[in-house]
Amino acid sequence: MSKGKVAKDVMIDVFEFPHIPYWFTIRQAIGIAKKSLLTSEKCHHPMAVLVFDEKYNLLGTLSLKDILRGLEPKFLKPTTKAQVPTEDESGLSLLWDTLFDKGAKEAAEKPVSEAMAPAKFFVQPDDPLTKAAYLMVHNDLALLPVLENKKKFVGLVRIREVFDELSSSILEG
Amino acid sequence: MEELINRENPQKLYIQLEEIIKKKIEDKEWAIGSQIPTEEELCKIYGVSKATVRPAISELVRQGYLTRQQGKGTFVCKKIISEGLTMLVSFKELMLEAGINFSTKVLAQTVMMPTDDLDIKLNIPEDKHIIYLKRLRTADSEPILLQETYIPYHVCPQMLAEDIENNSLFELVEKKHGIKITKVKDYIEIAYPDKEEGRLLGLHEGSAALLLTQQFYSGDTQIMYMRSIKRADRFKFLIELERKT
Repeated sequence: MSKGKVAKDVMIDVFEFPHIPYWFTIRQAIGIAKKSLLTSEKCHHPMAVLVFDEKYNLLGTLSLKDILRGLEPKFLKPTTKAQVPTEDESGLSLLWDTLFDKGAKEAAEKPVSEAMAPAKFFVQPDDPLTKAAYLMVHNDLALLPVLENKKKFVGLVRIREVFDELSSSILEG
Repeated sequence: MEELINRENPQKLYIQLEEIIKKKIEDKEWAIGSQIPTEEELCKIYGVSKATVRPAISELVRQGYLTRQQGKGTFVCKKIISEGLTMLVSFKELMLEAGINFSTKVLAQTVMMPTDDLDIKLNIPEDKHIIYLKRLRTADSEPILLQETYIPYHVCPQMLAEDIENNSLFELVEKKHGIKITKVKDYIEIAYPDKEEGRLLGLHEGSAALLLTQQFYSGDTQIMYMRSIKRADRFKFLIELERKT
């Protein structure tokens, strides 16, 4: 049990994270990530930018990993297991290194909507933290939006607070 | 009763005629878009020669009150004489004064971080959130003005949820939220809208437009930055200068 704590007890203010609209390019997002996440005195965790639409609806999150993935050339994109047997493809990265300058600059002009992780999962303010933990573990998320009435974006739950609360009950028990 | 030229008046005849015509337009006696009497008719009505009528009409054309259409005649202009340089006149007020049917379409009302040199234009740290508003204004069903407004979130967070389709931004900022605008810096230039801006304004690629950028202050604090792209064929700026005595 998480001592009855719910999402709203641990959620953090959305303005703790930088915001961008979906039409910004990856290049613009890199500039913002550098200014707001890397060189800022604030300690950001996880390092992510929130992506919104024209009406301030959350569309997705853009982590540093998502940005790098957005810069990758097509040949480095993973193939599905059904297509080929799993192989170590890290050798291809050497090719990326050769092409990085030109290819990545071109890729950086794509809109962030093509690189972000869509916000498919969310919790409501009164949902238990175990639900948040479940969604985060099974969908590899470090950040989970909290939506009021499944619509209004009111905060974010991070893996660190969820971990802190749930693990405390183990140590105390 | 028709106002007549006063020959006893020391003012030049064409200037008197210009004032009479201007008054007719401002009083809506001559409606927007309507054809005015021909030179011959004006000569007859006011008892003056063509040498008086021509400079009066030319001056009113230059000022944006009238427009000449070759082979058709002279018409009361639909052009909006923008008092945009006077900071407290809103688009709505302008449109009402000109007797034009207007509407506003909100294209965006969201939040972003300053990108490119927006932090400098708004004079804020680069990690501060900004409310971004984008509106397309139409007059008589024609798009004429594309306006992007940037407000630091901490200045007026309520603007994110305000009805900006039916309300003037100035009224919301000043009257509803009590932020007094004390100074505006205006920059006017010719610009070439990008593809998307051109599409929204119904302009062909490469067409020139008027770009008005404005920085709004409340005391020493900058509270807003506005970028308005106006169709050059629908706007005219009026700058009135008065010498301090």
